[in-house]
Amino acid sequence: MTATVGAPGETVERLAAAGATGALRGAGGTVYLVEGRVVHVESGLATGLATVLTACGRVSPATWLQTVRAYGPEHRVGRMLVERGHLTRGELELCHLDALYDAAFFTLTARTTTGVFEPGVRHWLGPVNLVGARALRRETVRRRDLLERIWPWPQVDTSPVRPGLADPRARQRLGPRRCRLLELADGRRTPADIARLLGRSAFATTVEIRRLAASGLVETPAPEPLRPAPPLTRPPRPVPQPPGLPSAGLPSRGPWSSEPRAFESAPAAPPPPGEPRRAARAGPGLLRRNPGESLAHPRQPRHAAVHPLSVHDPDVALLTRVLTALEDRL
Amino acid sequence: MPGIDECLSEAMSIAGARGVSLIDWSSGLSLGQAGTGPNGDHEAVAAEVTDLARAAADSPTFADPEDPRTPLRDLILTANASYHLLCFVDTVFDSRLVLYLWLDRAAGNLASARFRLQALAEELVLG
Repeated sequence: MTATVGAPGETVERLAAAGATGALRGAGGTVYLVEGRVVHVESGLATGLATVLTACGRVSPATWLQTVRAYGPEHRVGRMLVERGHLTRGELELCHLDALYDAAFFTLTARTTTGVFEPGVRHWLGPVNLVGARALRRETVRRRDLLERIWPWPQVDTSPVRPGLADPRARQRLGPRRCRLLELADGRRTPADIARLLGRSAFATTVEIRRLAASGLVETPAPEPLRPAPPLTRPPRPVPQPPGLPSAGLPSRGPWSSEPRAFESAPAAPPPPGEPRRAARAGPGLLRRNPGESLAHPRQPRHAAVHPLSVHDPDVALLTRVLTALEDRL
Repeated sequence: MPGIDECLSEAMSIAGARGVSLIDWSSGLSLGQAGTGPNGDHEAVAAEVTDLARAAADSPTFADPEDPRTPLRDLILTANASYHLLCFVDTVFDSRLVLYLWLDRAAGNLASARFRLQALAEELVLG
């Protein structure tokens, strides 16, 4: 068992380059490698393979448990599901890739830079698809950028989902898939909870929630207030970085950190203040706060596009531009 | 029993096939590809196929509201020199997958290519 230091995506690439076999456990999830290739990723924030296959009734929970119990110790669960006729090979591959990238998104965007690598540990599923570490990291960056483009308020990803006050006619145009999602938005469930209930990928659900938030059908909660940055502690044993890789690794703007995040908690890259995307529909009840004033209603504003500006906004905008420029060089 | 790779190489044997990819249009990820993409870039193809599939499948005009699992069967775009076929893959578990085929208009036969692509999409799931 080895402690690792570095952004999760970067650590996975380093282990892959060394041809490692084992499990890298981090704050966001666990990445399983076999001879330098990623074979599986698991994250508590993503919808797992078992949930996707049992929620729709494709595999019964009893069959799943039985197969995992019988063939898990031999790391042959995937193969045996196919051999026993519970799934076709195509289904297993499709489902596995979806689950792998879904979990990788939440695992590699975790901001915690420490992890534990357990050499030789294999996943009970056994090999299904092999994915390169670099491809996995690139896809994670692409997914994070996709979310930013849809609606740049990451707090909607982890907050309980509340239906917004958009035009009721807009709901009728949603289609059954998104209606089902909104029906489960009770103000307590997070996007990950809804994804699990529906047996859908957590990332795909997050995409839908951001789209719904952008159209005002889901509320965008106010950003968390700024908190002081955690005291900097020196990592116990700095691990040398391979040349050519940026030391910051995968700069995550994801909100899945267990650590206090001074920068993330500020509004990230809001639409330019003068031109919110849906300004035309902003009602009179929306509050704007002058810099320095206290926020009278903590849950305001109710509409997505018009968050009160804070005195820190110019700094955040500048930092966001710098961050984006750095990411472009990755 | 075909997997993703076999399905794609089989699709490349369709007369006139220039390129094929299997795209997850909930995220825009290409799960596999063979041949060439229209711009030589399968990643860009995946992003554009995603936009097109989403626009059609999420539209109350085009999609079947009674069938949320497979709101559409396929989309066919006809360009001057090629066809673009998007065949929606129907799975029991939740997914949003499309099998995309770039077909040469002169060398290919649209009806037979469409039929074979649908058969391949079904075989991939049903085995």
